Amino acid sequence: MATEKPERFDQVDWNDLSRSGRFDLSVNALGMLATAIPLVLLGLYEWQFLGRRTATFEFVGLERNLETIDYFFVFTLLLFVWFLVLPLLQNPRMTRYYWEEFKRNRPAVVSLVWLGIVFVGGLLGPLLVSAPQQDLLVAYQPPVFTSVVDTTPATCVGEVIEGRCHGTWQHPFGTTQGGKDVFTMIIYGMTVTMQIAFITTTIVAAIGISFGTLSAYAGGWVDEVMMRFVDIILSFPTFLMFLLILYIYGAGLGMFIVVFSILGWGGTARYVRSKSLSISEEEFIQASRISGASTYRVIRGHVVPNVASSIITQLTLLIPGFLLAEAQLAFLGIGDSSVPSWGQLISAGRSDLSFAPWIVLAPGIVLFLTILAFNFLGDALLDALNPEAEAENG
Amino acid sequence: MGFGRYVTARVLWAAVVSLIIVTVTFLLLAAAPNPAVQRAATQAALQGGDPAAAAERVRELRGLNQPLHVRYLDYIQSVYTLDWGWSQSRSQPVMEAVTQALYYTVQYSVPWTILTIILGPLVGVYSAANMYSWKDHAATAFAFFGYAIPNFFFGIILLLVFGVWLEVIPIVYDTGVPVFSVENAIQLAVPVFVLVTGSIGAVMRVSRNESAEFQNADFMKTAKAKGVSPLRAYAYHVMRPTLVPLSTTLVGQLLALFIGSSLLVEVVFGIPGLGRLTYEALLAQDTNLVLGTTLFFTFVAVIGNLLEDIVFTVLDPRISYDDR
Repeated sequence: MATEKPERFDQVDWNDLSRSGRFDLSVNALGMLATAIPLVLLGLYEWQFLGRRTATFEFVGLERNLETIDYFFVFTLLLFVWFLVLPLLQNPRMTRYYWEEFKRNRPAVVSLVWLGIVFVGGLLGPLLVSAPQQDLLVAYQPPVFTSVVDTTPATCVGEVIEGRCHGTWQHPFGTTQGGKDVFTMIIYGMTVTMQIAFITTTIVAAIGISFGTLSAYAGGWVDEVMMRFVDIILSFPTFLMFLLILYIYGAGLGMFIVVFSILGWGGTARYVRSKSLSISEEEFIQASRISGASTYRVIRGHVVPNVASSIITQLTLLIPGFLLAEAQLAFLGIGDSSVPSWGQLISAGRSDLSFAPWIVLAPGIVLFLTILAFNFLGDALLDALNPEAEAENG
Repeated sequence: MGFGRYVTARVLWAAVVSLIIVTVTFLLLAAAPNPAVQRAATQAALQGGDPAAAAERVRELRGLNQPLHVRYLDYIQSVYTLDWGWSQSRSQPVMEAVTQALYYTVQYSVPWTILTIILGPLVGVYSAANMYSWKDHAATAFAFFGYAIPNFFFGIILLLVFGVWLEVIPIVYDTGVPVFSVENAIQLAVPVFVLVTGSIGAVMRVSRNESAEFQNADFMKTAKAKGVSPLRAYAYHVMRPTLVPLSTTLVGQLLALFIGSSLLVEVVFGIPGLGRLTYEALLAQDTNLVLGTTLFFTFVAVIGNLLEDIVFTVLDPRISYDDR
């Protein structure tokens, strides 16, 4: 695709536009390749040459280790940058239009800011803040601006006024029974949240879009069989299946993401199918067919981009469900207890609820706000990207 | 296709779906080492016996040394004849454990479902009738709040406030009280409230958006022109068409919530229902019981979806049977 769109017809550089071969790569795809290849090489290097316990970046003297899930996370982030953020920058006019539409929904703007904080916190937090340390001496510190009876914390970090221990900025959200800083743990939880949000969404989108468009284009009995398959996927009780898998094999965060995304794309596929069926009736599709475009090119160049804008909404509204499921499992304490997620923290603070409610309240409220923000964002995106839906739904 | 044939086809399809799910559970189990076998081997090793021989003995006892297809047919047969085996952790048949637990689950599920089904559309239509007024905004805020707050977190908070601080409700669920008594109503009020706030939001949103469409429809104008009272007009001309699209999503959503939330809410409030049973079976590594509760929930989901589809076609004569 041309990156700079001329305003007038007579200035169109036809050579630029006619690069329609299958192997001509756009800037986005080139950028994606250029950044993904080092990542894959790094992954191979770690897999082949490094021991299990060696940190990935030891060759440059860094302590930081990358898990498998981190590779996938970085990969989906790259996809996000090259195929969502960059296209928005490439089309400033459309971006301005979307922004104008989006801005009218004030809760959604606030939600976007909040999700931005969670995103940046999750991405950079673990690099800047060191992991929470166990320190029994500072257990049960109250959050800043609050106070508890002096006997609750082992030693009070802040001031003790009239027998009440006051919170300090050193531990803005207080500390847990092990003396871990709740604020730091919440930041580490942001990473988990963002990993779930990005990786599951990418897998769901990839399977859902390809399955849906394929089904719509194949038609006939292939379509029938594929949609029946979607029916089965949809009627699978995901949460229970995961419990069963967890019970039989044991499962960490990676398994959670795999199971929930592999059983979670049914709705997306159905949606994409109906959407691409209606789009393929449009005249511009017929026009490009008459001009000799191949089916692949019609799907890749016209159907998928048109479907994509409307499924972003659908995907945004899927994320809260995944986050909730993870929190529930972590709360039950039957998942991988080493994953520092918010649900884990809620579960850890439950026994101290009556005298140290902040351990449960802080992560619970953050989780609540994040789920709320995704819902608001999805609603607003629906209005911004899909003006017709707004008219229909009032 | 007539109605009879449609129902037959739909029932057959539900049977196929349940069979596929049951098969997947079998494959999952068959591909993994059985915890009972491992336990026996560990025990034998600890007592100085031969772990391999002990494992083999348990394997033989449980029929695990037979070829896969024999075990599969056996499994399918016992699943569908409701012969779900013996629960070791509870020393009773799985079926009995499930029925006992169901007794407690039903006690809060029935009021919860009824409240959601009645209140959800009512509030939704009401807020559509007063669209963009403060009442609508309040209802929308409540819907979003209920939708976004994790049920288990909300339950813990309410338990803290009303159970620990205000001491209005008991902290520990008492199984001794009769079903229809004030004590039981009090101890179930908070779990039901938590579940209703969780499920009502989606119902309210859908019915609000759907009924907005019918408010200015021609038949509504006619009704108003004839002098039909607003209450009757809304009840007959807005509520009824709203319920049709609502019913497509309602059952599925309620079931999904039922499975996930009942587990959490029962664990939080200490209700010895199906969710707790599943949870305790997981902790006790009681394979038969884990499988039994999982299958039970699965069958509830499959049958619920089946009923939903059939009721939907009965309710809405515009749907042709060939489309689905």
